[in-house]
Amino acid sequence: MAKELFFIIVGSIFVNNFVFSRFLGNCPFLGVSNKTETAIGMGIATTFVLTMTGVAAYLIQNYVLVPFGLEDFLQIVAFILVIASLVQLVEMIVLKVSPTLYNAFGIFLPLITTNCIVMAVALLIPLNNYNLVESIALGFGAGVGFTLALALMSGIREELEFADVPDALKGPAIVFITAGLLSMIFLGFTGLVPLA
Amino acid sequence: MNQYVKMIVVLLVISCASGAVLALSYAVTNPKIQQQELQKLQESVLKVIPGATKMEEVQKDGITVYIGLDDQGNKKGIAFPASGSGFNGVIELMVGYNPTEGKLTGVEVLSMSETPGLGAKITEESFTGQFNGKSVKDQFIVKQDVQAISGATISSTAVTKAIKASLDEIVKLYPVGGDF
Amino acid sequence: MQLIKDFVNGIWNENPIFRIVIGICSALAVTTSANNGIAMGMALTFVLTCSSILISLLRNIIPSKVRIPCYVIVIATFTTVVDLFMKGYFPALYNVMGIFIPLIVVNCIVLARAEAFASKVGPLRATADALGMGLGYTWAITLISIIREIMGTGSVFGYKILGAGFTPWVIAILPPGAFIVMGILVGLMNLITRKTANSADGR
Repeated sequence: MAKELFFIIVGSIFVNNFVFSRFLGNCPFLGVSNKTETAIGMGIATTFVLTMTGVAAYLIQNYVLVPFGLEDFLQIVAFILVIASLVQLVEMIVLKVSPTLYNAFGIFLPLITTNCIVMAVALLIPLNNYNLVESIALGFGAGVGFTLALALMSGIREELEFADVPDALKGPAIVFITAGLLSMIFLGFTGLVPLA
Repeated sequence: MNQYVKMIVVLLVISCASGAVLALSYAVTNPKIQQQELQKLQESVLKVIPGATKMEEVQKDGITVYIGLDDQGNKKGIAFPASGSGFNGVIELMVGYNPTEGKLTGVEVLSMSETPGLGAKITEESFTGQFNGKSVKDQFIVKQDVQAISGATISSTAVTKAIKASLDEIVKLYPVGGDF
Repeated sequence: MQLIKDFVNGIWNENPIFRIVIGICSALAVTTSANNGIAMGMALTFVLTCSSILISLLRNIIPSKVRIPCYVIVIATFTTVVDLFMKGYFPALYNVMGIFIPLIVVNCIVLARAEAFASKVGPLRATADALGMGLGYTWAITLISIIREIMGTGSVFGYKILGAGFTPWVIAILPPGAFIVMGILVGLMNLITRKTANSADGR
């Protein structure tokens, strides 16, 4: 069991990194990765939401949707409403704990709701038939992988500020190309997680 | 107080309308979806049992297998589902088995989300074809008696392991040389 | 005419993929073949248009405080409808798209246009904007798919156009290829827009 969990976590951080291999979480990835502090803060907030989403998705799927035969057509609506509520909850907590951080996040905190990673994690749990612990592992791993991607990108972008980037490539273009190179590096992790 | 009531009413009405629309869409599309799935199942069973034109679902000891029959009603083989975790999600297969000869008669990939151009090649005849006529007594180990797709060892191994795991169960129910 | 301006806006000036740069996740993930690009574009346009029209019609009824949950329910409903119909009538395409059909519900484009536009204008303008954005999204991701499909497999829309002597650059249909093609195209768009702006100024 522990071995499977380890592979789920390591798998989602490196081999199947949600940003570099699965193409998810791009909007916040572009928006927040210009400063390392905001990036890491965003990563941690998202990891928190993701881990709770793992739990919520498992519970909703197995105790509400399936028993009532609703999983084929109410899954999307149920999941997104739960995610929206969780994000609202995190917003209130962050506001209480650190108003400065809340202001630094700005619009990006409510935008966690539309971060594809969160919805994807919710959908992957019934798809792969994960149990509760595996669901938590997936959410946590996805969050750590996302934070890693953000941290890497923001580190590079802070250096890029001083580089001579051609005008046309400034902004999203150079971020994508850099992401592509990082993605190539992460491809190298294939084979890191052997089959049990 | 009024504004709270309005908020709740609007939310409730929209939720109910949404639920109604979705239940209706589901009622309309579900028969078609079931039909598609049955058709897909049937096609895969007939594909992995050469000579079969009809299929019959059989439950034995809690395991579902599909017997392939030809037009005269003769049994041509058994098909059973297999699945396992691949590189990027679950891989689902249909495997054909002829107990009389003790050999596999075909492997078909039902669904997978492996990497295009690499792991996705497990759907190709050049990979699945190697299982045709394979003795069920073989090891089923990649790079020994099973050839992997170059650059897609994980996907190839996943398929092989999935087949072996289900095969072991099926051979217990339908031993080589026995009746089916 | 205002409606035509609203429509054309999403196709070029405020093209969601290349100019505003939102809704990227699906643009990178499903653009491995041109057929997928078009299918995704149509699915998104359907959800976007239906949601925008409904939200615009309801804009005076939905209280501001609960507008986001309401928008989300509307969008999720249309997404589920697309999901069910694709599963029933286009299963092969559905299998290729995987979770990206349900993920339309969190495609930033849909919620962003609902919040920024559809909730503030009448249904006609909302429709024009949605169709324009949808079309802009569709041509953008179809372009990305065509490039990636040609480079990665030597064919386009399933038809082989490069001869057997062409060794495919598999990296094009792998994740890095998606990012890099995207980056180059965004850069190109910037270049083209800058050049037309410069020549308009008479420089």
